[in-house]
Amino acid sequence: MSTDSNALLEIVDLHVEFGTPQRPVRAVEGIDLSIAAGEVVGLVGESGSGKSVTALALLGLVDYPGRVRAKRMAFAGRDLVNCSGEERRAIAGRDIAMIFQDPLASLDPCYTVGYQLDEALRLHGNDRERASASVRRDRALELLRHVEIADPLARLRAYPHQLSGGMAQRVMIAMAIAGRPQLLIADEPTTALDVTVQAQVLALLMRLRRELQMAVLLITHDLAVVAETADRVVVMYAGQVMETGPVPALFDAPRHPYTRALLDALPEHNFGRARLRTIPGVVPGAFDRPSGCLLSPRCEFAVERCVVERPELTGNAVRAVRCHFPL
Amino acid sequence: MTTPATLLEARDLVRHYRVSKGFLRGTMLVRALDGVSFELVQGRTLAVVGESGCGKSTLARQVTMIETPTAGALLLDGQDVAHADRALRGRLRPQVQMVFQNPYASLNPRRTVGALLEEPLEIHRRGTRRERRERALAIMDKVGLRREHYGRYPHMFSGGQRQRIAVARALMLDPRLVVADEPTSALDVSIQAQVLNLLLDLQQEFGIAYLFIAHNLQVVRHIADAVLVMYLGKAVEQGPKEAIFARPLHPYTQALFASTPNLGRARRIVDAAAPSEPPSPLDAISGCAFRTRCPRAIERCAIEVPAPTTIGSITVACHRAAE
Repeated sequence: MSTDSNALLEIVDLHVEFGTPQRPVRAVEGIDLSIAAGEVVGLVGESGSGKSVTALALLGLVDYPGRVRAKRMAFAGRDLVNCSGEERRAIAGRDIAMIFQDPLASLDPCYTVGYQLDEALRLHGNDRERASASVRRDRALELLRHVEIADPLARLRAYPHQLSGGMAQRVMIAMAIAGRPQLLIADEPTTALDVTVQAQVLALLMRLRRELQMAVLLITHDLAVVAETADRVVVMYAGQVMETGPVPALFDAPRHPYTRALLDALPEHNFGRARLRTIPGVVPGAFDRPSGCLLSPRCEFAVERCVVERPELTGNAVRAVRCHFPL
Repeated sequence: MTTPATLLEARDLVRHYRVSKGFLRGTMLVRALDGVSFELVQGRTLAVVGESGCGKSTLARQVTMIETPTAGALLLDGQDVAHADRALRGRLRPQVQMVFQNPYASLNPRRTVGALLEEPLEIHRRGTRRERRERALAIMDKVGLRREHYGRYPHMFSGGQRQRIAVARALMLDPRLVVADEPTSALDVSIQAQVLNLLLDLQQEFGIAYLFIAHNLQVVRHIADAVLVMYLGKAVEQGPKEAIFARPLHPYTQALFASTPNLGRARRIVDAAAPSEPPSPLDAISGCAFRTRCPRAIERCAIEVPAPTTIGSITVACHRAAE
């Protein structure tokens, strides 16, 4: 697959392994991912497909005994594979920010919102902000207003337990954009929230993305969330990319049997049916992945070639599919 | 009296909790359930939807007889659960079973599948050891578990299979009503479809009624016969699924529908339909509880609590629903 050298983020052949070298657990097996400036990319897949690990590897957050290997991993022209910890820390958190699923678990319960925003600005703010506490305070207020928090002055003094889930996620977003990132990684940012609050937080993310012109990597298992927000979708399964394509083309005409089966399993695609269409079996574990196509034991179209030979990801940077017989 | 087909009926069900306002500040009353009425027909599914804090789980705790309602009546087969004595409760309890949201938390990791399944029978002193084992194996077969799973532990199963074990355990006592609290929201899409199919198959075979608590409206649309929409302890709208999905009358139901992500709405993220977040159940709101977020609120909404009125097949509590 060709990659775009103008991309903001470029990952080629990323591997992440855990366990011992003799018996590795391959969480991610050869992911290619590129994100253009200002683009919203949805990374979807079932649990264990390697979506979150990909993001953690990108930020250098995979700890021992995890091993990260990539042919190329570059952000805005800077190499992320062979850089020192210091160089990486200058990028991670500032140019690439991340928010997580459970905002109340990500905030420190012992410190006020104001303190934690101040800390983010001390570490990732510009020169003026790093130099002056009063500048930081003004900017913290501005950030809270930016994420549509009512009564920001009072919220600066609030502790995380005094916030609702939606408000806590807004604070997390405020901290994430404190360093004026070019890329925001949102890992299941709305999964723990009610649908009404989810709609608000997604609308906020999309507004911020427009105003700050940042790219967003949205990691989720919810296909409908991706359909409403993303420019492009990457579908992962058992550590590999199965299909990638623009929205809505990928949803209207999926080319990989896995994407189609996922869409077919949604209740909204089964109106009038007594039973939902399912994908038989379960996602293979790290030790029992088939040697041929990863989906072959569960695929209704699988033939002998699928069992024997693992297909390559073929296509271009816009639309690609990993299947011997794409739909 | 209730009609013969009604299995569960709630009449003006109320459950209040006293909570501390802080050290030496006394207590206050939380109206977790504030006058909810509904009927659930035998062998059918009533879906309860609403945001967190709306009283869904409190309702489940009353129906499963874990708690006693503060006021109102809860009739299971015409017998009042709310005012039942110990002996009657003992007889009624096995008829109502529960499936929880997270099968990673609801199964004791130190017990085998067989022991987990037989425990309800042991508690209710049913059958001999051999009969209990036979019943466990029979139910395992019904939910799609294999005989060799009998001696295994929960950690050896995937999330979907664990939820099958939880469903099997709920079926062991031959219940007439199963309360399912978000049974698929912790599962992946492909597994969710398998578990929903299983629940529908079991309903057809055994005639079980489900009280199905969910936040995913697409799942509700698939599985429910009737829908009950709750907001801060009150039933704001209820009726047959077809009617509510065709034309929701309450502004809150409309907001829920508008907020639900939709595959067909590619790249058109809506401007949030229900502004702001649900208020805390601790805050008392005069009049209609939804008025603080309602786009159609008028003066009357702040003064007068809307009474449930019937419009077509839907019962809705909104001053402006008839407009």
